[in-house]
Amino acid sequence: MDFDFSDEQRQLRDAVARWAERAYPFEQRRAIIAAGGFDARIWRDLTDLGLTGLTVAETHGGMGQGPVEALLVLETLGTALLLEPLAATWVAAALLQDCADGALPQAWLPRLAAGDLVVPALLERRSRHDLPQVACQANADGNAWRLSGRKHVVPAGDQAAAWLVSARAPDGVALFLVERSAAGIATTPYPLQDGSRAADLHLNATPAQRLPGDGATALAWAADVGAALACAQAVGVMERALALTVEYLNTRRQFGVPIGSFQVLRHRAADMKMALELARGMAYYALLKLDAPQAERRQAVARAKVQVGQSARFVGQQAVQLHGGIGVTDEYVVSHCFKTLTQLELSWGDTLHHLGTVAAVMGEDAAVGA
Amino acid sequence: MELAFTPEERAFRDEVRAWIDTHLDPALAAKVLGGLRLSKEDIQGWARTLGRQGWLAYRWPRTFGGPGWTVVQQHLFDEALAEAGAPPILPFGPVMVAPVIMAFGTPEQQQRFLPGIASGEVWWCQGYSEPGSGSDLASLRTRAERDGDHYVVNGQKTWTTLAQHADWIFCLVRTRTDGKPQAGISFLLIDMRSPGVTVRPIRLLDGEYEVNEVWFDNVRVPVSQRIGEENQGWTIAKYLLSHERANIADVNRSKRELKRLKRLAQAEGIWDDARVRDQIALLEVDIVALEMLVLRVLAAERSGKPALDIAALLKIRGSEVQQRLTELMLLVAGPMALPYLEPALTGQPVAAADAALAPLAPRYFNMRKTTIYGGSNEVQRNIVAQTLLG
Repeated sequence: MDFDFSDEQRQLRDAVARWAERAYPFEQRRAIIAAGGFDARIWRDLTDLGLTGLTVAETHGGMGQGPVEALLVLETLGTALLLEPLAATWVAAALLQDCADGALPQAWLPRLAAGDLVVPALLERRSRHDLPQVACQANADGNAWRLSGRKHVVPAGDQAAAWLVSARAPDGVALFLVERSAAGIATTPYPLQDGSRAADLHLNATPAQRLPGDGATALAWAADVGAALACAQAVGVMERALALTVEYLNTRRQFGVPIGSFQVLRHRAADMKMALELARGMAYYALLKLDAPQAERRQAVARAKVQVGQSARFVGQQAVQLHGGIGVTDEYVVSHCFKTLTQLELSWGDTLHHLGTVAAVMGEDAAVGA
Repeated sequence: MELAFTPEERAFRDEVRAWIDTHLDPALAAKVLGGLRLSKEDIQGWARTLGRQGWLAYRWPRTFGGPGWTVVQQHLFDEALAEAGAPPILPFGPVMVAPVIMAFGTPEQQQRFLPGIASGEVWWCQGYSEPGSGSDLASLRTRAERDGDHYVVNGQKTWTTLAQHADWIFCLVRTRTDGKPQAGISFLLIDMRSPGVTVRPIRLLDGEYEVNEVWFDNVRVPVSQRIGEENQGWTIAKYLLSHERANIADVNRSKRELKRLKRLAQAEGIWDDARVRDQIALLEVDIVALEMLVLRVLAAERSGKPALDIAALLKIRGSEVQQRLTELMLLVAGPMALPYLEPALTGQPVAAADAALAPLAPRYFNMRKTTIYGGSNEVQRNIVAQTLLG
């Protein structure tokens, strides 16, 4: 049992933090939002830092790093309120790397690591948080497949070089890789609440390559990886929100004194710290359990997302509240923390969804299995 | 980063589990697991059993006769005790006053007091709170006036846990009235059989006799029973507080009580009620999150780093979880928890309803103390805020 980071891990975190400080200040982020919520130059920077391929094996041109490195990087970029879909890319990498063999990962993992945007397209109008609820159809066409249907809230969905799409084949739900150059594709881009870019993806008899392996297993893997990464990112955003709040409480004066001298506000800040630390421990737990057997992994991720979801909502709401009027303006950064936290709670299964899992699978014991 | 304990640590846990299994009387464990009231003999008998093995002093270093376990081993031992249903180790002797005697006592004081604590022979209680001094402990007024080789102690302590069984009490007393209140406090060890000591019970809301008033009327205490220098008591008290670490969250007992809650929900036929089930699931998440907090503190301590800035969080969250457990057990039991069956609380047969449910409501009432004692949770939030905001 050890929750320390190695020197290499610290160096990675520091390098990412330095980059974010230089290249991703709030004004820069604001400009990215105004320009559509995805910046190709930022994506190039992240690629040059090795981050797009962080979890991709070195044999495929990545850095071959594990969950702890992923956690550190996302926590750090969460602090910077990163808009670009790095976590989504890592979910795609996990699907290609762990749920497929043969030509597809050979061809696409190196491209993903080299900065070609590959994102999962798994959500549908009726799927909510239940990814196996898929209406999109996959029909065999000789040796190839053709997909028809519509996917929603696809991260940077109109910018992608390829999508990993869930669709219903005659033998069950499966995952398919759709290339941008394929026929029968239309995208409708829009911003999300946090200002990041997403799109609907319309597929009309679109040629696709099927990922070998069991589709349900792959979707379960994607859901767990996605939720665990969302936990890590949310911890970073909460750190930022709390730091801003602490600074504000010590700076803002009313009734002739800093408002941070009022006990009711001090206790609220203490409760925010509690929420953050409970979430941080659970983010560790989820990431460290990603390589556990599926049932154990799923339970850990669900427990973690319940805690992180509750913490994220509390910290986000209270950060706004303690800032008073400035907290509800677009101009000041804290409202963006709140919106990002809200978005992370609703992504990859919200609190109620995961609470349902915790309640369904819980047995007599409640230990972290250390 | 690694979540799992080492193979050596797991082997250690197996070892202590096996020992507890052969030494803990199943009837006694059943009382603990059923939430029944424990007698003096229940608590002290088990303390002596541990003492003979050298494990009552399980947190002591080897130099003072302890096993010299790491903080992780201490945690695993505590976990094994909790899950087996062992009676609690009362902290006042081995966990509170002993480290003070080790750090501030003279060799003579160490030789005089430590063996009786380690063996479980001598029962200690804590004399801190006074009627006018709760959260504001430094305002305490119990006076100790020097008279040759003695102090003459006058005043009143309150909320003194299990003082009715105690042989000795460690006290904070006022030895100076000028200057800052903190600068005039000394740390005295007082024999409860001294002339002038009176113990008066305080009956608590659950009907239990657990805490007391302790009155001092011209009690003569040899100066040789002062720990540390005169007026150094506040420093010692702060040292003692900093010594209460990860186990103040008591997560191991909460894990056990969660199992009990789940079994109770099954036995009462509401395990499949979604509203009940969700509340239990939320509490399970709370307990796992608390355990992660505890493990992080332990890991930091083991690697010799200054404890994380989250110790006060442990007290707050640990006590909230303890209360929520008793609250949900009460709700799960429903109206059958309402009969107040005094004999059933100590395991005597009663001809009424379901005696096994009788301890639930008193336990719920009793556990309201956890967010009040040991520095109320509001005081703990002040500490967290102080660290955050300055």
